[in-house]
Amino acid sequence: MQNALPKQAKDAQQQHKLKRLQKLVMQHEPVLQRGACITTGFGEIDAYLTAHVEQAGLPSGGVHEIAAESAADMAAVLGFAHRLAARFLQNGEADDVLLYGQTHAAVRDGGQPYAPALAAHGLSAHQLVYLDGVTMPDLLWAGEQALTCAAVGCSLLASSEAAPDFTYSRRLSLAARAAERPVLLALGRTGASAATTRWRIAAMPGQGWQVKLEKLRLAYDTPPPVSGWTVYPQRSHASQSHASQSVPLEEVQTSNLVPLLRRAI
Amino acid sequence: MSSPLPPKPQEPLRTASATNAVTGRRIIALWFPHWAAETSRADYDATQPFALIDMHKNAQRLVGLNAAAGKAGLYPAMTLLDARALVPDVQTAMAAPQDAAARLQKCAYWLQRYTPWIGEDTSPETADGSTDYGLLLDVSGCAHLFGGERAMLEDIAARLAAYRDTRGITMRAAIAGSIGAAWGLARFSPTKLSIVPQGQDAEAVLRLPPAALRLKHTHIDLCQRLGLDTVAALARFPRADLTRRFGPEPVLRLEQALGQAGESLNPYLPPPRFLVRKNLPQGVTQTEALAMLIAEMCDALAAQLQAAGQGAQRLDLALTRSDNVMLALALPLAHPAADARHMARLFEERLTRLSNGAGGLDTGYGIEQLQLVAARTTAVTAPQADISLSRRLYKSAPIAALGGLYDRLISRLGAQVVVQAVPHASYIPERAVRFVSVLEAQAYAPDDATPTPIEATTRPLFMLCAPEPIEVIAEIPEGAPYRFRWRRVLHEVTSAYGPERIGPEWWGRFVGQSPGESGGHNSHTRDYYRIEDTQGHRFWIYRDGLYDREYDRETDPPQQPPRWFMHGVFP
Repeated sequence: MQNALPKQAKDAQQQHKLKRLQKLVMQHEPVLQRGACITTGFGEIDAYLTAHVEQAGLPSGGVHEIAAESAADMAAVLGFAHRLAARFLQNGEADDVLLYGQTHAAVRDGGQPYAPALAAHGLSAHQLVYLDGVTMPDLLWAGEQALTCAAVGCSLLASSEAAPDFTYSRRLSLAARAAERPVLLALGRTGASAATTRWRIAAMPGQGWQVKLEKLRLAYDTPPPVSGWTVYPQRSHASQSHASQSVPLEEVQTSNLVPLLRRAI
Repeated sequence: MSSPLPPKPQEPLRTASATNAVTGRRIIALWFPHWAAETSRADYDATQPFALIDMHKNAQRLVGLNAAAGKAGLYPAMTLLDARALVPDVQTAMAAPQDAAARLQKCAYWLQRYTPWIGEDTSPETADGSTDYGLLLDVSGCAHLFGGERAMLEDIAARLAAYRDTRGITMRAAIAGSIGAAWGLARFSPTKLSIVPQGQDAEAVLRLPPAALRLKHTHIDLCQRLGLDTVAALARFPRADLTRRFGPEPVLRLEQALGQAGESLNPYLPPPRFLVRKNLPQGVTQTEALAMLIAEMCDALAAQLQAAGQGAQRLDLALTRSDNVMLALALPLAHPAADARHMARLFEERLTRLSNGAGGLDTGYGIEQLQLVAARTTAVTAPQADISLSRRLYKSAPIAALGGLYDRLISRLGAQVVVQAVPHASYIPERAVRFVSVLEAQAYAPDDATPTPIEATTRPLFMLCAPEPIEVIAEIPEGAPYRFRWRRVLHEVTSAYGPERIGPEWWGRFVGQSPGESGGHNSHTRDYYRIEDTQGHRFWIYRDGLYDREYDRETDPPQQPPRWFMHGVFP
């Protein structure tokens, strides 16, 4: 190229191209979303969402990724996902169901949902339709099918070993936005994604979770705090439902144990 | 029936005979004289004598023979010793009457290509206790589809001679206006295939021996002693006399054979009410083409269903290959459906899945015939057409909407994968809930009785599929764990809640449960602890058994203390 443009002009040209592209994308998917939004039920997170995000909550139409800080945090991830799913269901009709699918590896590593405990997370057994171990492509297919069904209030897809690739993530995202129904992806591993939000969860001592909002595809004025929030789901639930907190038979502090210990096996 | 009847056989005695003449009922009786031997899985030379043997009356006796054995002079109920004396190198195999019966039923299903109405044979007990294998086909109004009755019989004979997995089946057949006449002619007519023109049953039957009337062997003996060698000789007697001498049965059989008494055919399968069948001029091998054909058939079936106000709960698709192999696909539906697009989509999903899978859909040389049946239907009220075009299309009937989703999920993932949790009355945590298919879960009430209401926060949100053994350091004998190793990771316990003691269900063995499914776990008391490690991960673990109390030092090795298990994970 002999008549190469000066660097500034080249940059400006690229900037212009980028702007045009962005504009084109915006035309097809407006960032501002219609439809219902939910709050998470955790005071600090909701305080941020209402104060700094234009939608004042998580939109129903969209994919929300919930990722694990480390592999051991998958249970906390699913716990948080169940909380959000319960909020989405409360927002919908009374007889909506939650479609909860797990890959084979997720079932093997993390186990199956246990119905008697669902009430502690705002769900009930008859609301839960469970896919007991499927392959990753089948899981995503099921999620897409669930979006076409009006009676599924929310779908929660859990995979501890792999994340959907960007193409599929975007496809699911567009489908969720068109259907205005939420899809929650609980992932042990993350990749490039077109999700509306991405949360990263780690377990914290004292029955708590550390919740970071890593990605927010919504209109906001202040970015979410990098260090995240620490929430205590049992306490927040108890204050919400006024459930009678069970008193453990006997609380044992292992630090006080008499050193009469023996290796059991 | 048992009352004495007027002695004129020519008079139409019952309305049934008139109906037979008017409706032109045509029955094919098939008789397989060597069925058991020819369908036997034993490896033998079909040109040489072969016999199936069974223990009968304290001796090994022949129960099934092939044609060569019959020619060599062997006969059923002969002892094996006598048979060996006559034919020293007779080939033998043990008889499997259930197998033969099962294969006969399979053959009956296959014969549905000729008529949907296929009946069991009603042969009397034979003198030698051997089983008579035959089938009855009601082919009224079917023969013209196969080029006439003779062509149809020849087609059946030719196809049976090349029947799959056998050495070819010898068949004798007769077509007549009544079950009795067809049955007798198939067995006692001099020709292999006999066709009685309409209305001439009586003449054909009268020439046959009395055994052709499906009589008991005691009656046949009696006929021989009385010198009655044909049905005509028997029919000449006044019926009252016959009844007095023989009892009511021979008269009834005689009238049935002559078409004077009605007789119904008990079908193997009730004929389906909603059925669509497609015969193809040429075999189709491509799945896409099949899917298109099935979609057309679904349209036709849905029209039938909608006209009758019914919804299908189960669809059966049968594909017949050109080499006479039948492939069957059964499709249970979560919600009664009469929607052609929905049904077609489910079949398409299933077909693509089958043809992609390893043990895929083998179309062989092509599918020649497709048959789609709504095997189970129920009345449905037609849903009101959507007027408002609202987002929630099925607002008033969410179950219907879910039903469609369930069908699609089940047809791709399998019914055992798409499940719902239903409570079960048990104190053992892993038994307190069972997963059942969403199709069955509707039958359970949302709040079925549980032994005691459990505080939800004391149970883990996730339960491992089976308790996993862990290595634990804990206070002896009944203390909380101090540290443990699970899946090769060491966890330091910072706090523990418990124990929550859950005893074994001692009544289990009285109500028919096995004492312990997973290696006798349920025979010991469990102490559950909710524990948290330094990272904040929370688990539900238990000690299986109590020190010194449940582990008997006499029987169990004394070094074997109770073991610990990881059972669930709290979020």
